[in-house]
Amino acid sequence: MNHTIDYKELYNTSPCGYFCSLPDGTIIDSNKRFLEFTNYEREEVIEKKKVTDFLSAGGKIYFETVYSQILKLGGAVEEINFDFVKKDGTKFPVLINSVEIKDTEGRHLFTQSTVFNISQRKEYELELLIAKRKADDLSDELIQVNKELRSSSELILQQKLQLEEFNHHLKNKNKQLSNFAHIASHNLRAPVTNLNSLLDFYNESTDIEDRAMLFAKFEKVIGHLTETLNELIESVKIQENVNITHEPVIFDIVFDKTIETLEGQILESKAVVTSNFSEATNIEYPKIYLESIMLNLLSNSIRYRSPDRIPKIHFCTEINNNEITLIATDNGLGIDLKKHGHRLFGLSNTFHRHPDSKGVGLFMTKTQIEAIGGSIGVESEVDKGTTFKIILKKNI
Amino acid sequence: MLKKLIARNNITIHGDGNKSMLLVHGYGCDQNMWRFITPQFKDDYQIILIDLVGSGKSDENAYDYDKYSSLEGYADDIVEICDALEVKDVSFVGHSVSAMIGVLAALKNPAIFKKLIMIGPSPRYINDDDYFGGFSQKDIDELLETLDSNYLGWSSTMAPVIMGNADRPELAEELEHSFCQSNPAIAKHFAKVTFLGDNRSDLDKLTIETLILQCSSDAIASIDVGQYVHNHISNSKFVVLDATGHCPHLSAPNQTIEAMKRYLV
Repeated sequence: MNHTIDYKELYNTSPCGYFCSLPDGTIIDSNKRFLEFTNYEREEVIEKKKVTDFLSAGGKIYFETVYSQILKLGGAVEEINFDFVKKDGTKFPVLINSVEIKDTEGRHLFTQSTVFNISQRKEYELELLIAKRKADDLSDELIQVNKELRSSSELILQQKLQLEEFNHHLKNKNKQLSNFAHIASHNLRAPVTNLNSLLDFYNESTDIEDRAMLFAKFEKVIGHLTETLNELIESVKIQENVNITHEPVIFDIVFDKTIETLEGQILESKAVVTSNFSEATNIEYPKIYLESIMLNLLSNSIRYRSPDRIPKIHFCTEINNNEITLIATDNGLGIDLKKHGHRLFGLSNTFHRHPDSKGVGLFMTKTQIEAIGGSIGVESEVDKGTTFKIILKKNI
Repeated sequence: MLKKLIARNNITIHGDGNKSMLLVHGYGCDQNMWRFITPQFKDDYQIILIDLVGSGKSDENAYDYDKYSSLEGYADDIVEICDALEVKDVSFVGHSVSAMIGVLAALKNPAIFKKLIMIGPSPRYINDDDYFGGFSQKDIDELLETLDSNYLGWSSTMAPVIMGNADRPELAEELEHSFCQSNPAIAKHFAKVTFLGDNRSDLDKLTIETLILQCSSDAIASIDVGQYVHNHISNSKFVVLDATGHCPHLSAPNQTIEAMKRYLV
């Protein structure tokens, strides 16, 4: 058999539409397939119709703003989807590829276009498009839900932090209460028991002098009891007073006032009291707390002085890691930290068989320091002396 | 500031003249569309080309759907760019929708502009009582459908429009790149803003000298529409080019250049 290829036949019967148009869009030739697609007669199209005549108004805008610009700039355009309008007004979807044919000088002579009927594919594409839109909507919805989830999770986190803070507060309160119970069972009950015993002695005694002596003891114990009770009430007040005001305080001034207050005891004990606040001269701090802290530390040092040597007490400030530290050193009795360290700052703990021990001062000092966010530490050696280091607060 | 704008609008500057010309593309393309025009002006002008935010190689992340929900957002950008570049007496050339963006920019800050050249302008595409814009709401819906169907394939492939251009491969590559960057969601939003907007009332306020270049046969902006624009801009000149289509600067560059030069002299 002789296979001669008839190009004219191939052109006309290929399963796609061909047409050729002038730069202004006028169609100057088309194959039979294109005429079949559009249901027009050849003489109705050739030199009568423009490419845009086969497009809907919306399609024309796309043709002019996208298709034409790509074609003019690049000389070719591929796989653009239009709906072509048939003679009877019905539409069918096409994919169109176009290429500009130019002369040797680059002048645009005409445009060759190939048109594929994609009716079946288009139905599937529409389904895809609908699915894609749904997916987009869902994705938007998810983003929204995600946003809401994120904000509620943030809220929960905030509530959690609030709860933690509240919990912390409650724990502190609890600690205070348990301390208070401790006082009730020890600090207050012991002297009361003491009073009861004294009362028994008093009732049993017939000697007037004995009774006078016992009565004097009553007075002394009641005096201590009252003082202890007052200080306890003070310390509870400190713990509750969270929003106490800070003000600029100069260490030298507070220290001088402390010395004046304790002048009698200093004279009596012949203590040598010195200070050096040059490293940190001042601080933003509740003034009454600092006064109370210094008063407690100084009176403690005098009270627990060694009878064997002249008491030497030195106060100074240091700055460590941006924190102002107050240091009080003495050469007094010292404390056996191994034995007593763990309950040094608790209530009603006294470590010296000393007539004036009440066991409240250090507890109150610690409470005040911690209420402002600081901490207190101690170094001590029995019969050598004690050093208290108080980190007042981060300040610089 | 300027650096930010250069990235946002892909600002490029060409030519070494002492006068300033700012050319802004219309819907569907980017600054590449001026390639046949700019060589003819580069001796006399400092030519500023930009891509509108959301088009071409502009910074897609700068596309704020609120800001660009009307042409005002684009007009603000034009004023901002001229201020940052410190240019005055600018000859502004706007194609299609950018003709209206130019009008809005000139109303915001008339001092910047010397002359306006509009190519295929339309203040309103939708017919409205006595006004003939050429399209109905339904037509614009069809356009949006066409956009959708052409993006269905585009969104999943990196090179949606492959340019066969053996003799100038750099052109093909550039365009391919440029069109890849057109985000379908942005293109659709921009189409709505462009084709559903109405800027007819802004035309009457314009006092700057304006040239309207109109193709004799334009499916997007008909002669009637061009005539309407001319009638409503007091200081305007109307020139009909013997050209088909919406882009005479591409299909009839020589005529376009000649008309522009005659007006700018």
